[in-house]
Amino acid sequence: MAFSNIENSEKLEIIKIAIVDNEDFQDNEIWKEAFKTLSDKENEDRLFDTKYTTEEEAKQLLQDGEIVGYMKLEEKPKVIVQSSGINETILKQVTEEITQNSEIVSNLAENQIKKEMTAGNYTIDYEKIYKDILEMTQNQEANIENISNSNLSYTMIEFYTLIAMACLYGGILGMVAINQNLANMSHNGKRVSVAPTTKGKVVLSSILAAYLVQLIGLALLFVYTVFVLKVDYGTNLPFIILLGAVGSLAGLSIGLAIGTLLKTNENVKTGIVISVTMLGCFLSGMMGITMKYIVDTNLPIVNKINPASMITDGFYSLYYYDTFDRFFFNVASLLAFAIIMMILSYTSLRKQKFERL
Amino acid sequence: MTVFKTFLKVLNKCKVPIIMYTVILIAFGGFNMQTSENSTNFVASEPDVLIINQDKEEGVTKNLIEYIKKNSEIKEINDDEQAIDDALFYRDVNYIIYIPENYREDFLHGENPEIKIKSTGDYQASLAEMMLERYVKVANLYQKNIEDEQELIEKINETLDKQTEVEITSKLDTDNLSKATFYYNFTNYSILAGCVYVICLILSSFKEEKIVKRTIISSMNYKTHNRQLLLSNGLFAIVLWIFYVVLSFILVGDIMFTTHGLVYIANSFIFTICAVTIAFLIGNLVMNKNAINGIVNVVALGSSFLCGAFVPMEWLPDSVLTIAHILPSYYYISSNEMLTSLETFNFETMKPILMNMGIILLFTIGFTIVTNVVSKRKRRIG
Repeated sequence: MAFSNIENSEKLEIIKIAIVDNEDFQDNEIWKEAFKTLSDKENEDRLFDTKYTTEEEAKQLLQDGEIVGYMKLEEKPKVIVQSSGINETILKQVTEEITQNSEIVSNLAENQIKKEMTAGNYTIDYEKIYKDILEMTQNQEANIENISNSNLSYTMIEFYTLIAMACLYGGILGMVAINQNLANMSHNGKRVSVAPTTKGKVVLSSILAAYLVQLIGLALLFVYTVFVLKVDYGTNLPFIILLGAVGSLAGLSIGLAIGTLLKTNENVKTGIVISVTMLGCFLSGMMGITMKYIVDTNLPIVNKINPASMITDGFYSLYYYDTFDRFFFNVASLLAFAIIMMILSYTSLRKQKFERL
Repeated sequence: MTVFKTFLKVLNKCKVPIIMYTVILIAFGGFNMQTSENSTNFVASEPDVLIINQDKEEGVTKNLIEYIKKNSEIKEINDDEQAIDDALFYRDVNYIIYIPENYREDFLHGENPEIKIKSTGDYQASLAEMMLERYVKVANLYQKNIEDEQELIEKINETLDKQTEVEITSKLDTDNLSKATFYYNFTNYSILAGCVYVICLILSSFKEEKIVKRTIISSMNYKTHNRQLLLSNGLFAIVLWIFYVVLSFILVGDIMFTTHGLVYIANSFIFTICAVTIAFLIGNLVMNKNAINGIVNVVALGSSFLCGAFVPMEWLPDSVLTIAHILPSYYYISSNEMLTSLETFNFETMKPILMNMGIILLFTIGFTIVTNVVSKRKRRIG
């Protein structure tokens, strides 16, 4: 799962194209020059890998999938592509830009010449006017300021859901721990229920043991994701640990609740814990990151009660946002979730009595 | 027959978790399709842009907005900075343009006002940036020479209207094909997870010590035993596969009735068989019931991540794709991807897909052989 350099491939790649090398193209300096610069290997902003061919060859190349598309310059430029897509659109945009630039140059030049004429100047240096305008178009910069957050790597969500899943799988531990204390689930449980020790003590200690095991497991996972997979959790270590601990508690409490509330065999209970976990993770974007966003925007309530989503969202807000409101909201909801689950299991555990087994 | 009967008995005993798991996976497949339109996989040539206009919408400003509207997909998002940032992070919008206050005035005075943007930095965002930059450049150039605002706007639009004629040669329904690919790529996960989970669960019942001992001393050859077990499990997997195929007809629609659809189905069938043998091998290796879940995740989620079932293949770094070559999922998914752009069906064009299918079958044979070796070794009980 080495996504470490995935974002690099999200950036623009060099696009393979062909140009029909006909007379119109040969005679047109602007076009020739433009494509030469854009395909120049030395150029940092290189956009194209260009082949100059005949039309038949270009057609063949396109059919074989060797190129994205080809450009034919007759009176007007024409772009021939196989399907619509991003690279195809870039090719179209670039040819448009060249057409428009040459249009601007001629428009402005015409304007300039008119001005000089009306000013009574008849010894016009056409060469110079064209050169000046060409230079002006090339030096024209758009004043655009990028203010987006640099932490935009959205594959990180994938890892956050992974942590969420690890937290929730703690539910299995919780369930196993509680099964050890249930008279209808294990021999151990029968003994516990007739033993003179307070039941609360035994249950609490086994839960704590399960929690400890889970935290160790989670810590290992963290170490692995941080040092091997290079996952970025933001810089706030105490908060990351807090979220991990609270998340594990929520996971554990699901296991407890399912373990106590349902009266069936262990296989089914495990199956339910897993299904709940998988469903939660699915909704929080594990099998397709967009899922979380879709749920967040269309049915926000679902992800507000989904612990996997709270954990994922908590990590996400640490990573992406500078403020902590959203993070603490998630931590608080996880705690509330855990407490509700525990109260549920507590009441159901208290009521349990067996006449015979 | 004995083996098959036992298989059915065990299946019946574990029916609750199995049905639950299968239903969830099938539901995932269905749900996931709903997101496909928003997915990164989707071929769209117009970037999703959000415009936040702090200036009055008139004159040059209005023209800028109209130009962007014409060339991109405009998104409407609540005027809440957090919602906007979320939308950007999840690629719901690729590019956000903040038109500053007094843009029109400043521009007309030749000040080249600063436009703030937020960008995802991907293809679509670059496209949007190209568009915006072009507009601003053209506008700035004309602004220096033309005084009158109306004339300026006309000139800008006239120039920007010079568009390139585009001819699309392919007659493929790319949208629907990528939808089908998206769906079938996802089945890589669900088929693998379903097979591994269920088959391991069932095999673990066959692995109880007493039962193993009885099986070993029976007159049945271990190969026959394995074969019957494999076939019974295969039967289950095929039922699962039929579910997915039926679902694909419902979700993807017409394209499944074409030759393309047939190849998708054939491809997934071959992969299902391979998944059975993978699951069978794992089931023979693993004795502990509780370990099954961990293994399902490692095998199914792991190979789905690596081979591009969730994240499009073209986005994966080359190093990952190189590693992915040792997994059968890679060949399954790359066949699906190839289908998206396959136009004519003949031996020549089908060759890479057939090759992939062949490789998957080789994997299948390999896994079966290894399983037999493993289970022969395991017959010795100390």
